[in-house]
Amino acid sequence: MKELEEKIAQANSLESLEKVRVNLFGKKGVVAAQFAKMKDVPGPEKREFAQKLNKDKVALQSAFDARYEVLKSEEIERVLKSEAIDVSLYGTLAQKGALHPVMETMDKIIDYFVALNFAVESGPMVEDDFHNFEALNLPKYHPARDMQDTFYFKDGGLLRTHTSPVQIRTMLETKPPIRMIAPGTVFRRDFDVTHTPMFHQVEGLVVDAKGKVSFANLKSILIDFLQYMFGDVEVRFRPSFFPFTEPSAEVDISCIFCEAKGCRICSHTGWLEVLGCGIVDPNVFKSVGYEDVSGYAFGLGVERFAMLMHKIPDLRSLFEGDIRLLEQFR
Amino acid sequence: MIITKSWLNEFIDLSAVSNEILYETFNSIGLEVDSINEIRIDKNVVIGKILSVSKHPDADKLNVCQIDVGSGTRQIVCGASNVVDAEYVAVAMIGAVLPGNFEIKHAKLRGVESEGMVCASSELGLPDMGKGIMILDESIGTIEVGRTLDSYRTIADTIIELELTANRGDCLSVYGVARDLSAGLDIEMKRFEPVKDEKMKIGMARMVELHNDKNIEADLCYKLVIIENMKKHFLINLRLAMVAVEAKGYMEDLLAYATHTTGVILRGYNSEVFLNTTDKISIHAKAKKEGIIELVGNDISHSMVGISQDKASKVYKDSEKILLEASYINPDVLVEAVSQSDFKIDTLYYKTSRGSNPDLEFGLLYLSNLLYQYTDATCHEGHLSVLAEREHHTVMVDAKEISAIIGMDISLSKIVAILHKLGFVLNKGADKVASVEVPLFRHDIKHIQDIAEEIVRIIGINNIEAKPFSFEEKPRLNRVSDRYKTKKAFKHAAVGVGYYENVSYVFSDRKLLEKYHFPVIEESLDVANPIAEELNTLRSTLLINLLNAVKHNVSYSIKSIPLFEIGSIFGSKREESEVISFVFSGHNGSENIANAGKPREIDFATFTQKLGAVIGAFELEPCSYTNTLIHPYQSANILIEGKVCGFISKLHPSVQDDYGIPVTFIAEVDFDTLLPTHINTTPISKFQGVYKDLSVVIDKSMGYFEVAKVLNTLKLEMLKDVYPVDIYEDEKLGDKKSLTIRFFIQSMDKTLEENDIDTVMGHIISTLEQECQATLR
Repeated sequence: MKELEEKIAQANSLESLEKVRVNLFGKKGVVAAQFAKMKDVPGPEKREFAQKLNKDKVALQSAFDARYEVLKSEEIERVLKSEAIDVSLYGTLAQKGALHPVMETMDKIIDYFVALNFAVESGPMVEDDFHNFEALNLPKYHPARDMQDTFYFKDGGLLRTHTSPVQIRTMLETKPPIRMIAPGTVFRRDFDVTHTPMFHQVEGLVVDAKGKVSFANLKSILIDFLQYMFGDVEVRFRPSFFPFTEPSAEVDISCIFCEAKGCRICSHTGWLEVLGCGIVDPNVFKSVGYEDVSGYAFGLGVERFAMLMHKIPDLRSLFEGDIRLLEQFR
Repeated sequence: MIITKSWLNEFIDLSAVSNEILYETFNSIGLEVDSINEIRIDKNVVIGKILSVSKHPDADKLNVCQIDVGSGTRQIVCGASNVVDAEYVAVAMIGAVLPGNFEIKHAKLRGVESEGMVCASSELGLPDMGKGIMILDESIGTIEVGRTLDSYRTIADTIIELELTANRGDCLSVYGVARDLSAGLDIEMKRFEPVKDEKMKIGMARMVELHNDKNIEADLCYKLVIIENMKKHFLINLRLAMVAVEAKGYMEDLLAYATHTTGVILRGYNSEVFLNTTDKISIHAKAKKEGIIELVGNDISHSMVGISQDKASKVYKDSEKILLEASYINPDVLVEAVSQSDFKIDTLYYKTSRGSNPDLEFGLLYLSNLLYQYTDATCHEGHLSVLAEREHHTVMVDAKEISAIIGMDISLSKIVAILHKLGFVLNKGADKVASVEVPLFRHDIKHIQDIAEEIVRIIGINNIEAKPFSFEEKPRLNRVSDRYKTKKAFKHAAVGVGYYENVSYVFSDRKLLEKYHFPVIEESLDVANPIAEELNTLRSTLLINLLNAVKHNVSYSIKSIPLFEIGSIFGSKREESEVISFVFSGHNGSENIANAGKPREIDFATFTQKLGAVIGAFELEPCSYTNTLIHPYQSANILIEGKVCGFISKLHPSVQDDYGIPVTFIAEVDFDTLLPTHINTTPISKFQGVYKDLSVVIDKSMGYFEVAKVLNTLKLEMLKDVYPVDIYEDEKLGDKKSLTIRFFIQSMDKTLEENDIDTVMGHIISTLEQECQATLR
C-alpha cells in the first residue's frame, strides 16, 4: 500500500500519472487484482477483507486526485507562462480621439439647462438687421452697436453678432411661457490676442406672465449654474448695460486660479467676468408683439468658459485643430 | 472715463472713504473699475524754491541752481531748459528712491557738485506732462517750501479708470461720477461755491446779439469775457495728463478741463469772427437740417453744435474778447444726423453723442470761475441763451411693480429717496405710486424697468436674495434637441475610431475655393467687410479648413492626423446647410510595438471602414463630384438609401503638394441625410443558412457597383446578403478580371436542400452571364 501511494506521489507529469492510474485502477490494474482475490478469501474473513480493500481503494483514489490537481495546475501555469508578454509595452496603443474642448463645454452647458426643462433652439448664422439689432432694442445709430463690430454682406445681410436673434425668432414663432437656450456660432469683426472673428455663445431666455419672472429668479439659476460649471465658487453680480435687458448685470465668479487672492488672469481683482444677464427690456417684448409678460435673459461665451475650466492660455489655439492641444482631452 | 479722487473731492467729501470702498462701490453701482492707480511719491521728494540759476561753466545745456528745500539750501545741477522759468519745483533729495529703483546720490556733474535732482513728472511716476521739469504753483494747494510732495493730495492722487456702459453719458464728467457716487455711498454732494464775480463790465446784451432759427433742438448759452495774462497752471495740466485728455494751448486746456469736470460742452470763440459791420457780435444759430445746428457769423459757419468747431474761430492767444459757449443737444437726434452725413467730428462728439450735461449755466459758471482764478479775466454781465422746447419726461413709479421686477419688497419711500439722490424730481406721490420727472441728463431712462435698474444698482444686486423660479413643467424636446443629440452621437462615434474634433472659422478664402472648384457665394451676396484676405468669404466646404489644420499639425511633426468637423457651409445663394467632414492624413495610427514603429499609411479601405463606423452603412459608386481635391481614380459618391449624400476620396497628389502634407483621405457628407429615420424590423429566420462563393470573369472596366445593381434586381427571397470578397487580375485574363462574390442563402420556413441552393445560384449565374457578360471562372 505504501509503495503504491509513493508511486502516485512520484509521478511528475500528467502523462506519468496517467500511467500510474492505469496500473492501479485499470481493468488489469492492482486494485482490480486485489478485488479478484476476494473469491479466494474464506467466508468469515471475507467481510473484513472487503472492508480493508474498499478503504485502501478510497485512500488511493484521493491520493491520486490530489496529485492530479497539483500536476494539472502546474501544467496550466506552464502554458500561461509560455504566453507571457511585457504588457507595459502596449500601454501606448490606445487610439481614441477627442472632442473639441469648446464643443464639450457647450455640451455640458446644454445638458445643465435641458435637465432644468429648457428647450434648445437654433437659428441661421446669416441674419438681418431686424432680428440681430432692431428687435433687440438696438436701433440704428445706437452707440451700443459700436460694442459689436459686425460683418456685413453686400446686400445688407449680416453675420449674427450674438445668439440673441434666436430669442426673437422663437418668440415670434411661439407663445409664452418660454424656457429656451440658444447655443450657436457668432461673429464679431475683431481679431487679436483675445478676440477671434468667430466664437460660440449660449443664450438663455425665460418668459412668463407679467410680474412672475424677477431678477431674484435670475440670480438663483445663474448662481447654481456657475457652481455646476466651476465648482465651489463665489458669484458676484455687477450692474451693467445691455440694450436688450433692463436691469442688466455682469456676473463674475471668484478667481479659480488664485482662490480670489488676485493673479494675472483675474487682473489682480480676484474676480473673473463670465456672463451677462438681465430682465428683458420691454422694448424687446414690444418688437415681438408680447404684452403683459415678464422675463429674464442671459448670455455667455463658450470659449471663455472652456479656457477658464481647462486653463487654456491662448484663444486662437482653439481654432487651429492642433492635435497637441486636442489629445489632452482624450 | 478717467477721474481722480482729489478731483471728485471738489464735489463730494471722500476724505473718509478708502480706495477699497471706492473700488467696491463703483463696481456695485455699475461703473466698472478698469484700473485704480494710487500714486505714491518718495518722502525725500520735497518742494523747493529756486533762489538762483546760473549757467554751468563747462556745459552749455546744464544750469546750476541754488534751491531752498526748507531744511537749507542745496546746489543742484539741472539739465532741463525750462528751469529758468521756475520758482517752485519738485526736488528729489539725496537718498530719494524714484520709480525704476533709481536712487538719488551725491553727484559731481562736469566738476560741479549736485545734491539732488529737480524732477520732471514722469521721473516721479506721474503721467508724462511733456518736456522739462515740473513748474509748481499754488494750484496744487498752499505752497510750503520743504513740504513733501506726497502730502499734496492733488499730486499724490488716486487715478481711477472707469469702463462706462454706452447708456451712461451722464457719468462722462467728474461731476456726474460724483453724483452717482453720492447715491452709492449715501454722502451728500458739496455745493459748488464760485468765487465772486468781482470785475464786471457792462451787460453783454449791449454788445452781442443772438439770433436763432425756429425750433432748433439745441440749448445754447453765451458769455463774453476779456482775458489777459494767460499762463500755465500746473494742476490743470497735471490732471489733464492724469485723465489722458489731450488739449492744445492755454484756452483749450481750460475748456477741456472745465468740460471734463462739469460734463457741459464748452467752447471758446475769438469773438472777432462774429463781429459785423455795425461792430456788434452777431451770432446766428442756424438749423441746417434735423439735428445739425450751425453757428454762423458773417455768413461763415464757425461750428456745428455737438460736432466740431472750425480752427479759425478758436482762441489762441490773449484775445480782446472771448465768446464762451455752453451747449447741449439731444444725443438721439444728433447721432442719427451725424451717421447719415460725413461731417468731421472732434473729440467732444464722444460726450455729445452719449448725452452731455444740459446744465449749461453750471458749466459756464465753473469755467468763468476757473478764469477768475487763473487769469486776469473780466466778464461782461449776464448771458445770452436759447433753449429748445422740450417736454419733461415723467415715469409713474409703482413700488409693487418695481418689487416684482426685482423679486424683493422695496418701499416707495426708499425708491423715491434713491431717485432723489440721482437727480430725479418727485412730482407727486400717492400711497404706492409716484410720478417722477426724469432729469435731462438721464436721457436713457424711459420706462419703469429703467427705474428698476437704478434701484437695483444703488441697493446692490448682491443684496437681492436669490429665489428659484417656479414654472409649469412641459415637454420641451424638439427638432433642435433631436438634431443636437444625433450630432453628439456622431461625434462620440468619430472620437471612438480615433478622430479629433476640429472647430474652424466659418470663413474661407474665395480664391482657394475657386482654385479647387468649390461653389462660391455670388459676388453680390458676399461679405462686404472681411477681416482678412484668407477669411474673405463664407466656406462652401469644411475640407479646406481641415487641410489647413492638417498642415498646421504637420509643421509640428505630428505623423497621424485624423480630424473631423461638423459645421455649416454656404451655397452660392448663401443658403446654409450642415456637413460632417473627415480628413485622415499620414500614418494609420501611432507608431508602436505592434507595428514595430512602422505604421502603414492611411488607405482607402481603412478610411472607408472608419467612416462607416461613424456614419453607419453606405454604398459607394464612382464619384460625380467635380472639386479638384478629389483623386480621379480613388474617389466615390457615398450613397445612403440609394441617394448620393457626399463623397470619399484620396486627396489629389497635387493638392497634397500644395499643402506639403503626407498621403491624405477626405470625406464630406451632408448631415441632414444622416439624421436617424424610423426603423421597422423584418422577421429573422430560425433555419440555418449557407454561404456560397462565386468567381466570375468580367470586363476590367466594369465596377462592382454595376454588378451589384444587376444582382439587386433579382429579388430572390432566399438571397439574404451579397458582397464582394476578392478581385484578381493577371496577364492571362487580359482585359478581363476575376471577381469573387459571396452569397448568403437562407429560407424563412425550412432547412435548405441542395436543389434550393442550386436554384438560387443558377438564377444568379444566368443573370450575370446575360446582364454582365460574365463567365464562370
